[in-house]
Amino acid sequence: MTGVLHKEKPDVRTGADHGRPRHPRRSRSHVAVFVAPFFAVFALFFLAPIGYAVYQSFFKLTSSGLGLTEPTLDFAGLDNYVTALTSPAFVGSVGRVLLFSLIEVPIMVVCALALALLLDSAQARFRAFFRVSFFLPYGVPGVIASLLWGFLYVPQTSPLIDMLAAAGLPHDFLGPDTVLLAIANISTWQFAGYNMLVLIAGLQAIPQELYEAARVDGATELRIAWHVKVPLVRAPLVLITVFTLIGTLQLFVEPLVLKPLTTAINSDYTPNLAAYNQAFAQSNIHLASAEATLIAIMSFVISFGFLRLVNRKGNRAW
Amino acid sequence: MGSKIPRATRLAAVAATVAAMGLTAACGGGSTGVPAAGPASAPASGDPANPVTLKFWSWVPDIQKAVDAFNSAHPGIKVQLETITAGPDGGYAKMLAGVKAGNAPDIAQVGYDSLPSFLVNGALEDITQHAAPHAAKFVDWQWQTGVFGGKVYAIPQASGPMGFYYRKDLFDKWGIQPPKTWDDFAAAARTIRQKDEDAYISTFAANQAPWMIALAQQAGQEWFSTEGDAWKVTIDNPDTRKVADYWQKMLDDKLVKTEADMSNAWYKDLQTGGIVGWIGGSWGDAIIRGNAPKTSGKWAVAPIPQWPGASAFTSASWGGGSASAVLKGTKHPAEATTFAVWLNSDPQSVNILLSAGYGWPSIKDTGQITNLQKDDTVFPFYGGQNIWDVFKEADAAVSSDWRWPPVSDALYASVTDNAKAAVQGEGTLADAFAKTQQAMVEQLKAKGLNVATGG
Repeated sequence: MTGVLHKEKPDVRTGADHGRPRHPRRSRSHVAVFVAPFFAVFALFFLAPIGYAVYQSFFKLTSSGLGLTEPTLDFAGLDNYVTALTSPAFVGSVGRVLLFSLIEVPIMVVCALALALLLDSAQARFRAFFRVSFFLPYGVPGVIASLLWGFLYVPQTSPLIDMLAAAGLPHDFLGPDTVLLAIANISTWQFAGYNMLVLIAGLQAIPQELYEAARVDGATELRIAWHVKVPLVRAPLVLITVFTLIGTLQLFVEPLVLKPLTTAINSDYTPNLAAYNQAFAQSNIHLASAEATLIAIMSFVISFGFLRLVNRKGNRAW
Repeated sequence: MGSKIPRATRLAAVAATVAAMGLTAACGGGSTGVPAAGPASAPASGDPANPVTLKFWSWVPDIQKAVDAFNSAHPGIKVQLETITAGPDGGYAKMLAGVKAGNAPDIAQVGYDSLPSFLVNGALEDITQHAAPHAAKFVDWQWQTGVFGGKVYAIPQASGPMGFYYRKDLFDKWGIQPPKTWDDFAAAARTIRQKDEDAYISTFAANQAPWMIALAQQAGQEWFSTEGDAWKVTIDNPDTRKVADYWQKMLDDKLVKTEADMSNAWYKDLQTGGIVGWIGGSWGDAIIRGNAPKTSGKWAVAPIPQWPGASAFTSASWGGGSASAVLKGTKHPAEATTFAVWLNSDPQSVNILLSAGYGWPSIKDTGQITNLQKDDTVFPFYGGQNIWDVFKEADAAVSSDWRWPPVSDALYASVTDNAKAAVQGEGTLADAFAKTQQAMVEQLKAKGLNVATGG
């Protein structure tokens, strides 16, 4: 792309273009034709709604007296942002998803990597079958997955809980201390297979000669996995970590579906749930927009912060 | 949605409608298909040659039948029903967005508790001149839910007066009388725990704000009132604290379950006898029938237990009830009012809605509502009891003083969040209501509304 977009300067001294074979302007108009449809849709369905949400976040509806007269729409400056950031419920929900990220990201990366390495090992049998089975949960919509697991978490409907209780194992999945882990379990079940596929794609790009060289040197499968494969899939590893980070910060569907099943999840359990609650339960679109904008900024800062961290020392992952 | 109705049924419905119209006309109310000459307040019924089209949004099951009956009886008005998700699940958001965007329906299903929020959002149309003549048809406390500052904005449809559903077979077996007072209720709860280690009298549904609010409403002191041009918030009051302390003790003594009501766990408990009672709204009969069909014939309904010292029998309504509100921006407020009044007061329509399990009718005269006299699907489930007698008495015993605030959504979220925390042992239920009091004062102020000092 850079070659195409690189602006070629005409000869400054003569102002003439010395009969270059490639005509920069024409090639650029080609590009424009091809990317225009994408940019049109991108602007209409992505940039415009975001812009509108940010715009909405600077206003608020003000009533007066008993509220029997029409409210007025006033410019509120950063009032909504101040309200969100000084609300213990919203700040608490941010803390909760950060804690959730700390738990969920390592679990997810380790699970996905383990599955990928198992399937990629020389001894693996029925690879296609297992690859599809691991990937299958990703095809289940989040709401359905949460409902399925919800049934397994509730004592009255779960076949698991009776077994665990009989064996004397802990079996309260929806208590205040365990519900976050219960949610982490649903997310891992859903996305580990997808992330595994990303890693497998990376593993299959590794030239076979490297393995042969390692075997000649007497390396075992385990050593090959750890010293050859893992360093070479660093880029996809970073990628799935960033995806998981963003996903955990935007946690929404699982707590929403589990909320009716437990007293441990309230309406501000995660930042996204808090924004949803403001928008759709309390009809405060303006505060909801401010909260949504804050969530976006937070995801942006954390994911790019992480990329800066892993890309320091000049060894770029991607 | 059964929007396709066999033609025979439709004809029967029309015939019944015509008959019913004769009756209401005799009672001096109801709208006829023919424009009536006379006072200006005569119901607008459009011009059959050039019918007015109205959009109506609702989530009530089977309401299409009532709409069809209306359309047959009013050739000058054509109502188109659009089924939407229930209000609190996004329906209200859609309506408010519609009003903003100028494509809202003419009439919408709005809960009594949400009417003030709609008003504050500038989403309701003043229909006083068209609606006022019909006020006498409706139960006063329900009519008042749609009246603000002396102006009418909505026609009441149904409420959910509270009663106590209980497993009569088990109560008889264990020798327990249906509780008359809250003390009896606690004693019964204790006996049940002794008789069957798996059974509880009920659950304390911390997920269900309207239910907890109804319990507080029954105890006496209202939560919101107006003083001049300011809202007065009195959630943290002696009556509500009495209710909170009572249930806190029930929780501490482990006499009630804490699972959410209307959840899978709770349905299972209804089926297996893990829960043998429910203080629920009149529409709850269908919930029990639908989810525990095998327990048919074993249930009965008693009046809600009373607090000592109550001067008269007092009940409450679960979440108020539901109204047909005329939304801002309608081009036909007169015809919209005609529809809303007919839908909620014509005996034909009320019968249809009642059989759909929509709640207790808002009209005073339920004598013509045949389903309330004899119901072959409902009564046998409750051992042949006419349960509607209990709810009729309950609906008459709901206080007219109760006012919903323009922040009822925030109120619900706050009550459930704080009550859930209390059930988990973070403070007591009394603390939860005190926290809600504080949150609501802040909410009202944040909206720019006046809040009276000292509450």
